[in-house]
Amino acid sequence: MSKVLLAPLDPVHDNAIKLLNRKLVEAGYETATLPPGSTPEEVIEQGLTWRPSAILVSRTLGYKVGEILGRLVDLAEASGLRETARLGIGGMAITREVGAELGFDATFVGELNLPEVLAFLEGREFKAQVGDERAEKRTKPNLVEGYTYQFKDTRIEALLDAITNQILAWAEGKTSPGIERAKIRAEMIAEGVASGDCAGKPGVRQRLLDQYLGLCGPEIVAFYCENKLPSGVRRLRPDEIANLPHVLQDGRPGAAHIRHVGQKPSFFTQYGTGCPVMDVMHIKVCEAWGVDGVIHFDPSWGAQCEGLLEGSLSHEHDGTIVTLENFRFIHRYIDPGTAWLVRVHRGLNTPETLVLGQASGADYLKINIPYGSTGGGTDPERLTVDGVYCLRQAAQYGLPYNIPGNDELSGVPPHKSFASLLIMTALGLKLGARPIPNPLLCYSPYMMVHGAMDDNMVDMNLAKLAVWREIVDAPVWPGEPVGFMTHTPDRVQSSVTTAAHAALASSAGAVAVTFASSDEAYSKGPISLPARVDTIRATREMLRFFGSSQFRLTPVAVGLTARLHEDITAVLRKVAERGDFVAAIYEGLLGDRSDGLYPGRSGAHTVASDAAGLRQILSPDARWHQAQKLSEKELRPVSDRAGHGQETGPNAMRIGAKGDA
Amino acid sequence: MSRVIDALDIETFLLCKDEEEAKELALALAHEMNLKLGDVVFLEHKGYGARVRLRAYVHRPGDHYQWLETEEAQA
Repeated sequence: MSKVLLAPLDPVHDNAIKLLNRKLVEAGYETATLPPGSTPEEVIEQGLTWRPSAILVSRTLGYKVGEILGRLVDLAEASGLRETARLGIGGMAITREVGAELGFDATFVGELNLPEVLAFLEGREFKAQVGDERAEKRTKPNLVEGYTYQFKDTRIEALLDAITNQILAWAEGKTSPGIERAKIRAEMIAEGVASGDCAGKPGVRQRLLDQYLGLCGPEIVAFYCENKLPSGVRRLRPDEIANLPHVLQDGRPGAAHIRHVGQKPSFFTQYGTGCPVMDVMHIKVCEAWGVDGVIHFDPSWGAQCEGLLEGSLSHEHDGTIVTLENFRFIHRYIDPGTAWLVRVHRGLNTPETLVLGQASGADYLKINIPYGSTGGGTDPERLTVDGVYCLRQAAQYGLPYNIPGNDELSGVPPHKSFASLLIMTALGLKLGARPIPNPLLCYSPYMMVHGAMDDNMVDMNLAKLAVWREIVDAPVWPGEPVGFMTHTPDRVQSSVTTAAHAALASSAGAVAVTFASSDEAYSKGPISLPARVDTIRATREMLRFFGSSQFRLTPVAVGLTARLHEDITAVLRKVAERGDFVAAIYEGLLGDRSDGLYPGRSGAHTVASDAAGLRQILSPDARWHQAQKLSEKELRPVSDRAGHGQETGPNAMRIGAKGDA
Repeated sequence: MSRVIDALDIETFLLCKDEEEAKELALALAHEMNLKLGDVVFLEHKGYGARVRLRAYVHRPGDHYQWLETEEAQA
């Protein structure tokens, strides 16, 4: 049996020695340890007496490292011990350079890597592998698996049944320019003529494009017909696209986890730097640091124009433009083990975005009709028609969708926001889709005004998660991102609040969590990779800290849960009694002006009962064109005024801004 | 620089193949930025690059502190 002498050449720190001692004993070695504060002379004396085959020493403190360790090596040589015992060194104060300069046979840096130590003791060459992820393969999370979607609250189930029956009956047969464009896009993709540079079938492409442009706003028509790019947009150069594989060829995604215990939650982060190439770099780094999924964010103006651009486009402001080429470019680089979510509720382009996302390999979608049709969003009538169409498509393609509750950021109380989420949950289920509600864990204006988080942020957030368990057996995915409005420009503070919210959500059984980059809120520029990594590291450490322990509902949290449950039921009852979902949004039953919400206006008067009705709407003197002119006028000041951080992309997390999700 | 009480930290992310290359690049960056005695305080490599914190001490404990000088002395 090999004998190993372990000695901390440090006045205090010997944890590593103790840990290593246990591991070596478990591995079958005979060991002897010396206490902290041992001198080089004492180590050599013990070595000469006990005759180990190896001596492993550690040093944590940084002062006199060279002096103390150098003396140990000198004494080992002078005494002849070096001829029978090999010397290894490790500890926080040690670098590979220091170990080599002092003449140690092996230097161990960083966390204890037992295989490396064993290889040294056994005289084998240790082949460095990639961190702790070498043996593990990334697996794409299935967030809806195992959930029955059975309602536990039958009163709420009955109310939702009535509301969703009314929605489906109302939407039956209705169409919009967005739906018709989506059908054309789907046909273009099926025909292989979706890109302007596609070879063959020029006649087919032109016919479909003509139909498409007849349903588009003037900026989009100008792009296709006059090659006019929107402000701040440029085409990616071929070399930018071609060189990326070379840059990434030496890397590997790895399989690091953010979780410390268990398989849940999965962690998602948002990207949308504006440039697809930069997005890929951010995605690859996030994957390497353990993110399970990524969410595409595009510019807010893309939701307010009728029609989508095409080609590989870069955007100098927040959000990466939705095009088939951009989607496919990004998806090409996403690891097969990473889930990819495409926000579908993109205002006037909601159905079309779904088509592009589905055609590009999206795993999850995102849609919330009430949230998307308020604030600066889309007309409720239009988004209801488009949204129902999308839920049918999501069901057809088997794509689960999450439902963001970010209307809370405008001031909407959680019970109204959650009522919307429940309606969207029930609506999707009725159409055969699989919903994932996203209750927002945040320090919302409602919480500030009502002092609901003055003492702590745990009780209310736990209540917001607990109430879902009382109502329905559905996966719950807090976001979007968690900790909204708790962030400040300070990276440490922002990382800590994000990590705390993530740990709370994890403790409460969330199936997934979306977190922000720590400089997402106030970075005064695009999100940076160091900040992304810091947020992930902070979250990983917080989950390490909590492990399997759990937050428990206090009596206060129990009371908040009951109140929330009661208030959600009351809102749903009002909506059901109103008997008209669209009217309920217009009238503020799911959030009114006093909550900071008002009905969206983009796409007003663009819903028709059938294709003939749509043609009537699209006639030159019709109200649609008036609405288009209005919306273009409204769009420009929003876009030009915005500046960085004012748009509703990943960087737009400021108090008072509509936080997009 | 005279008002920096002790140290200057540079936080960044470097595209590189391993920790060794990351360290070389980080030290080269410190040199390029004219940071005297710049050193790597923290470095973690995963996948495609390394999260790095570079540090350069402007005033180490026991140094002659420029921020302690009177305005006349600084002039």
